[in-house]
Amino acid sequence: MSKQLITLTVNGDKYEIAVAPHHTLLDVLRNDLGLTGTKRGCTAGSCGVCTVNGEKGEAVLSCLSLAVEWDGRSVTTIEGVEEGGRLHPVQQAFLEFGAVQCGFCTPGLIMTAKALLDVNTDPSEEEINEALAGAICRCTGHIKVKKAVRNAARVLHEREMNDGD
Amino acid sequence: MQLPRFEYIRPKNLAEGLAALAEHGDKAVIMSGGSDLLLNMKYRLTTPDVLVSLSDIAELQTVEELTDGSLRIGAGCTLTALAGNAMLGGRYPALHDAIYSVGSRHVRNVGTLGGNLCLDTRCWYTNQSEQWRCSREGCLKTDSDICHAIKSADRCHAINSSDTAPVLIALDAEVILAGPDGERQLPLLDFYRDDGVEHTVRRPDEVLVAVIIPPVSGHAVFAKLAQRVGLDFAAGSFAAFAAGDGAKPDAIRLVIGSVAAMPKVLAESERLLTESGLTDDAIENAALAARQSLGELTSLFTPAGYKRRLIKTLVRDALLELREQMDTGLANTS
Repeated sequence: MSKQLITLTVNGDKYEIAVAPHHTLLDVLRNDLGLTGTKRGCTAGSCGVCTVNGEKGEAVLSCLSLAVEWDGRSVTTIEGVEEGGRLHPVQQAFLEFGAVQCGFCTPGLIMTAKALLDVNTDPSEEEINEALAGAICRCTGHIKVKKAVRNAARVLHEREMNDGD
Repeated sequence: MQLPRFEYIRPKNLAEGLAALAEHGDKAVIMSGGSDLLLNMKYRLTTPDVLVSLSDIAELQTVEELTDGSLRIGAGCTLTALAGNAMLGGRYPALHDAIYSVGSRHVRNVGTLGGNLCLDTRCWYTNQSEQWRCSREGCLKTDSDICHAIKSADRCHAINSSDTAPVLIALDAEVILAGPDGERQLPLLDFYRDDGVEHTVRRPDEVLVAVIIPPVSGHAVFAKLAQRVGLDFAAGSFAAFAAGDGAKPDAIRLVIGSVAAMPKVLAESERLLTESGLTDDAIENAALAARQSLGELTSLFTPAGYKRRLIKTLVRDALLELREQMDTGLANTS
């Protein structure tokens, strides 16, 4: 049950951390690295507020993932989403469309939406619903969240088109 | 909720993994994706001394076509990888639907096929936090000899919620278990036991390594109902496979899931459809027979009366869809 030394890259920064096997990725991000943007919610895999993005940009529940399993891998958290001091289009859209109420679920929702938009900048309504299904807003609902995601998709899609020229 | 303490082993290959399991016996548990196990550990339903992680075992993460045309799927393939596998989706669209219906994307990104098949059974009374559980006497699954779900029961009635099992059973899939004495292969249906405590025949020193799906020429459908899509386990799921002509099917296989400790084959409904073909009347009767064959149902997660009606509707609608597929020849499974 001794601690193990792991190498973990978070938002491009490489860390060597001694972690206990029973510590989750969420524990290490928040307690060892002080990256408290990732929230601790149900800790049971039901709510999605602890969502981070894995190596392929996929949405991962950090509360149900052992930190030791991340040895040698990289992860992106809400702190690493901004683009050189500017908000990422998903963050910007959440701001513009008021997709934030109390804000607790916002990091998880943004990481969940980003995981979708990283691979699909032109998602259908059904794809958005399906992708967001694992992340819950406790205050109200997902209407404004979905509006923000649709608009972020538009911005990212245009960017992708322009890059293609 | 914090995890209990344990020793962590991450073997590099299957041989190392089997050696670790042989050494630690029933003090060890296997972790694949962890989305089911880690939660049960947080609940203190499972408190292993040793956790053996399969995540580095590459040989469990392959999909290959065998010489007889069967598909061999490594148990460690993530559900996301399998949902995006064109060969699997092209041949077995109903299996694709079942895989895609598991949990949320978050869960499918780490959850594996083997993990879904070995998913521990669940019960409203027991699958709760330790604090919640201690307000009530234990049960057959924990430390007592009573069942809260069915008072007169002498065995555990916790529910098997695997979404992939019913389709795989309908497709006549087999599983391969590797152990200290080599491998054994058995039909997926025989892998399960009708007991919520020991719900599979896998021994503690064995690893579920692969699923083999035979080449089938026919049609299959999968249907599932859950309260909240992407969050809840199924209140009921149903898979149907049929070969030949809808009016006179050569083979038919109907399996329901998420209502008992193991997936259930609907023998009487199968007989009705084989005899009469997929006519309106036969489908209605088969749905009714499905409802009647459920036997002792628990009210776990969903009231038993509602579950019976739900199964009838689920079976009827899915069979109508199956008939349409057979008539149009679309979405052939092979």
